[in-house]
Amino acid sequence: MISYNSKTLDNIEVIEAAEKALHKKCITAEEYQQIKTAYPVDLYTPNPYVRIGLFILTVIIVFFSFGLFCLLTMNGGEKAIGVLTFIFGLGCYAAIEYMVHEKKHHKSGVDTALMWMSGSAIITAVFIITDMHMPPSLMCLLVLLPATFFVLRFADVLMSVVAFLSFLALLYCILISAGWMIIPFTMMGASFAVYLAAVQLAKVQTYRHYLSCLQMLQIVSLITLYLAGNYFVVREVSNEMFNLYLLTGESIPGGWIFWIFTIILPPLYIFAGIRKKDRILIRTGLFLIAGIVFTIRAYHSVAPIEVAMTLGGIVLIAVAYGITKLLQPSRKGFTSEQTDDDVTDAIQLESLIIAQSFHQGGTQGDHFDFGGGSGSGGGASGTY
Amino acid sequence: MNIHLFEKLQNDGLVSPTSTEKVRLISANKLFSLHWELKTILYLGVLLLSGGLGILIYKNIDTIGHQAILALIALISAGCFAYCYRKKLPFSWNKVLAPNGFFDYVLLLGCLTFLTFLAYLQVQYNVFGTRYGAATFIPMLVLLFCAYFFDHLGILSMAITNFAAWLGLTVTPLQLFQSNDFFVTGRLINTGVFIGALLVFIAYMGDRKNLKKHFAFTYSNFGVHIFMIACLAGLMGDGFGNRYGDENGYGYLGWFLLMAAVTVFCYMQAMKKRSFYFLLIVALYGYIGLSYMVVRGLVAIDSMGAFYLGMLYFIVSGIGAVVFLVNINKRIKKA
Repeated sequence: MISYNSKTLDNIEVIEAAEKALHKKCITAEEYQQIKTAYPVDLYTPNPYVRIGLFILTVIIVFFSFGLFCLLTMNGGEKAIGVLTFIFGLGCYAAIEYMVHEKKHHKSGVDTALMWMSGSAIITAVFIITDMHMPPSLMCLLVLLPATFFVLRFADVLMSVVAFLSFLALLYCILISAGWMIIPFTMMGASFAVYLAAVQLAKVQTYRHYLSCLQMLQIVSLITLYLAGNYFVVREVSNEMFNLYLLTGESIPGGWIFWIFTIILPPLYIFAGIRKKDRILIRTGLFLIAGIVFTIRAYHSVAPIEVAMTLGGIVLIAVAYGITKLLQPSRKGFTSEQTDDDVTDAIQLESLIIAQSFHQGGTQGDHFDFGGGSGSGGGASGTY
Repeated sequence: MNIHLFEKLQNDGLVSPTSTEKVRLISANKLFSLHWELKTILYLGVLLLSGGLGILIYKNIDTIGHQAILALIALISAGCFAYCYRKKLPFSWNKVLAPNGFFDYVLLLGCLTFLTFLAYLQVQYNVFGTRYGAATFIPMLVLLFCAYFFDHLGILSMAITNFAAWLGLTVTPLQLFQSNDFFVTGRLINTGVFIGALLVFIAYMGDRKNLKKHFAFTYSNFGVHIFMIACLAGLMGDGFGNRYGDENGYGYLGWFLLMAAVTVFCYMQAMKKRSFYFLLIVALYGYIGLSYMVVRGLVAIDSMGAFYLGMLYFIVSGIGAVVFLVNINKRIKKA
């Protein structure tokens, strides 16, 4: 099913492993060269920055080609435009296959851009032709099918997110007649099933080329598992979609179940992640701690925001300090030291994040803002 | 690293047994690193604490408690600086590593609380009076000094944004477009060109004279973006020209030439440094500038044929730019 040559993809893995080994001075440069000639890779994968540039440029090319294409056939009416868009989407797809097989592009930005354009063109075409007269569940299916196809064909990571979310949306549309109490639990069940499946499939040799897609699926399904059980999400969505007419301060029936999910899931993720040494579980859990804080603050004002921030900051610093001290020297296979090789990019990124979150605006006119420290509150609210 | 893979490579005679043994040793001792997780928690902690203290003092500014909070802030700041001063490795114009994982964040907390302290002094006692420039200039100096003295890239970024703020420009990455009304005031454009050129110059000189070489990326990153955006604003200042006779003259040509010259300079520097990042942004800014000139020319022709020509231009030039980037990528990889 996958569009690339399986052998070549395996060779990429070998070369990457050899590169790492060379970086850590385990193998010599001659050995690295030998491996490179024994495992040839003829696919073209440029540097990430070049990839971004190629993506943008391809989008520009495709848009203007489409514009020219439409101009030449302008007076055909709405249906004709729909058909043209459909043909254009198919054309984009043909272009990807050409780039992959003839030009040997592999995640080069060009193929990614063509893939998104092709998918959206086909979906838009169906919308135009049917004039949007279709049930929502069909719309979800309409997104799910091409997205799944693209995932299987090109192993694209972001496309797997689209496929998964459209799957959940489809489930939601089907269940909406079953009542609001069923939905959270089914959503949680579906997310959990997808998570387990992704974990199992990631271990299977046959699906090795989809490893990054499966890892992404794990992250997203863990997040949707949490969101489906989160009190805030359940209360607000149920209130909105099923007209429960809740007043502020009123709880949904059986709300305590969702409070338990809200508070217990992220620590559970982190705990499980530490036991299994699974980075995905740990990071998702840490990220979702913010969900706990947000949900509690949405309904119960524990302390004024500035006190909460100050205390929270002190707690976080203490936690980080405590764990670091605990892991010096390393303990039970955990360390606080850095083990990965290349870090320069991460440090540059960090400095930009610092500049962004502690910003100080230009002094305009002659009023003086209370700058510096208070300005950083704006950055903090984003993370809360 | 997968040990089975290297065993297979050894069987194929591609890797010597000693090399396989090294790989085995490393993969057996491989530790699970929580480095970035801990750093993120620490960063969030510093962010929340300094932000919280800032708001705390802001809200309590006229009550009795604010003196205590102020003393606390001063104490934290002084404590952080004292810690950094004691722990820091000797100063050098080369890269100085942080003595431990906390150093960078302690310094950050110290600088942030110091900024809050200064801002408080201004609001309450008006120490800088109405010289509002000084209120951003002095923090800028302190930040700049800290960045060099303690070798901290994040503080350097803050110093640069502060420097631009002192001159009236907001340059934090996400607000570069929102907060600056480039198109309304020519003064902002000139300021932007000046700041951008200065930052690129500092990066260039620092790199050549070997003064904190690793700061060059941060300087030129801010510099190139500010300069190019200011240039584009100057270039596009009068829209697509006035089709009933050009009253604004040929000012845009000057901007275009300036931009072209800097694009060539940055392109050569990027090739020399083999930086994909700068190649990309320079290529994109250059492409925008060039496309603007072409579209402006086509608007002047003002016919349906020109419209089609414009569409064709974007398709052909886009393909040309793709080929250019692909070739550059190959050239840098070979070099």
